[in-house]
Amino acid sequence: MSPEEPPPVSRRALLRSGAAAALGAGLAGCGFLPEDRDAFGDPDRPIDVKADGDLVYFNWADFVAPAVFDGFEKEYGVKVVQSNFDSMEGMAAKLNAGNRYDIIFPTAKWAQRLADGGRLRRIDHSRLRHAGAVFGTYRYFADPWYDRRSAHTVPFTMYKTGIGWRKDRIGDDLTGSWKDLWNARAKGQVFVLDDRDEVLGMAALRLGLDVGTSDPRDLARITATLQSLRPRLRGFSSDSYNNLLNGNAAMTQAWSGDMAAMLGQAKDPSVLGFEVAREGAPINSDCYAIPANARHPGTAMLFIDYMLRPENVRKNIRYIGYPMPVGGSEDVYASIVKPFPQCLVSPDDLKADLFFRNVSPAGEQARDTAWTHVKAG
Amino acid sequence: MAQRTPSGALRDRRGRSASGTRLWTWLMLPGTLWMTGFLIASLILVATLALGTTDPLGNPRFGFNFANIAAMADPAYRIVLLRSLGFALIACAVCLVVAYPVAYTIALHGGRFKNLLIAAIVVPFFANYLVRMYGWSVVLSDGGPVLRALRAVGLADAHTKILQSGTGVVAGLVYGFIVFMIIPLYAALERMDLSLIEAGRDLYGGPLRTFFFVTLPATRQGAAAGAVLVFLPAMGDFVSAQLMGGPDQIMIGNLIQDKFFQGQNWPLGSALTMLMMAVLFIGMLGYLRRTRKDEAEAAR
Repeated sequence: MSPEEPPPVSRRALLRSGAAAALGAGLAGCGFLPEDRDAFGDPDRPIDVKADGDLVYFNWADFVAPAVFDGFEKEYGVKVVQSNFDSMEGMAAKLNAGNRYDIIFPTAKWAQRLADGGRLRRIDHSRLRHAGAVFGTYRYFADPWYDRRSAHTVPFTMYKTGIGWRKDRIGDDLTGSWKDLWNARAKGQVFVLDDRDEVLGMAALRLGLDVGTSDPRDLARITATLQSLRPRLRGFSSDSYNNLLNGNAAMTQAWSGDMAAMLGQAKDPSVLGFEVAREGAPINSDCYAIPANARHPGTAMLFIDYMLRPENVRKNIRYIGYPMPVGGSEDVYASIVKPFPQCLVSPDDLKADLFFRNVSPAGEQARDTAWTHVKAG
Repeated sequence: MAQRTPSGALRDRRGRSASGTRLWTWLMLPGTLWMTGFLIASLILVATLALGTTDPLGNPRFGFNFANIAAMADPAYRIVLLRSLGFALIACAVCLVVAYPVAYTIALHGGRFKNLLIAAIVVPFFANYLVRMYGWSVVLSDGGPVLRALRAVGLADAHTKILQSGTGVVAGLVYGFIVFMIIPLYAALERMDLSLIEAGRDLYGGPLRTFFFVTLPATRQGAAAGAVLVFLPAMGDFVSAQLMGGPDQIMIGNLIQDKFFQGQNWPLGSALTMLMMAVLFIGMLGYLRRTRKDEAEAAR
């Protein structure tokens, strides 16, 4: 037993945290939650890496190969209790309501918010046998902007944003710029993602501005640029997958992960193209994290280590179609996305650092207003 | 004693009716509690939240600032609100025109199949609206079966589209809410005294004249109830505009949904909700006035 092991919880503390959890559950998402760190546990306690119960798992649907889950359950004699979220906001609302999970998968921006809010347990990488393949090869993640020294997170997947198009309708080659969305041949058949950051970011990159700017003058220029795209748009939709496959879109702003998934689904994938703009491609990643109020953090640590085993990384990449920052797994992903080499995320891509970051409340509001103007027209 | 008799009798009568009233009060209690708990309380919550703020994790916090109310002045909201009003009204009108013949046929000529026909209309609406609309968005897509068939017979060219248009959104709204028009119309027609139609005929009214001067006015209240039932959800809908509409068809429901989910700005979403409810409330006042006048006329 480590000397830092916290003293056994007193009965009163237990009752109090129980009451706080009950209150939290009762007032889900209503904003009455007390700012009580105790209710979420001490995030800095070290975690004993040993199976301490079933794994309560919270992630996007279908984001881990079922065979990998089976192997974990068998090897450690625990069950994986799965639940899913459909947006980061939905995930945060569940956490704020006092639900307890052992492992969650926030995106970089959300990892920062949760870590800053004291909601994530500290993860000691030296206790993970396979962490070297991540932090050794992808140095970026050794000290990423969203989590100093990755103290609370281990990166999971990465993706980029680019342009997907139908070669049978627009032609084989585009110019490799965000300006392609204004292409005359695609007029009236262009979609952009229904995502504030991505759309504002795309226009910002086209104009040579900071990808996550909240400067009012920048936002005015961005809004004006997007107003010139609006008459050419067919819609705002993040369903690039269906829009391209069913023919509603001749061209769409798209996430690399969706394009990779399409390769397996399209009757004839050769009619599809994916490019990344030379002005820059927004990049994103998500990560493993253990909530401060997790009941079984030991099992969660075992799970992270198990997921990082080379054979499991390869299985998961094949299953979900997203690259992972794990040294030695690049060839698997490259073979999946051979027709779209631009889906690959290299250490250089990470260095370009075009992440969407958290901004001040005022900046957040300015960006939101700009987005409303872009959408409402 | 003698002087008291009249007032005593009065008290007696009042007492008896009071016990009856008390029974009805008790019967209304569960419903009243339910409405107070879940409707009024949540309304108050939304109204107070409209003055609130958000913390860094996106949690709404109560407060007392008018920034969200001030934000309502943005012309973008007015445009979208008016558009939603327009779509909802058109959807209402289309529902009325489509639903009337259906309700009429079933009520007056449905015979022993009446209940079966009504069930056939209602049952599909048990399937989730979102799922059905998602299905439509696939069926009506450019590469979908409908447009492929139309192109094959030469009724559409490569540029014809159904989705991402105002027509698509209104069609979605009509499809989604028409059952709320059919049922009250059916009830009104079913209840209507058929001898009124005979009387109209006896007075030398042709089928059309009888319909417009007898049947239609007699079922006016059913139509009004149906219109309200369609208008309210259509006005706040976001699914149809999301799946069938394009950039120029965004409705107020979409903006509100955006604020609550992606924008994580519950207070602004609440303020927008209050704005929409204020508009709906004005509309409802008109409806209530109208029905009261109708009732007064009927009582006369």
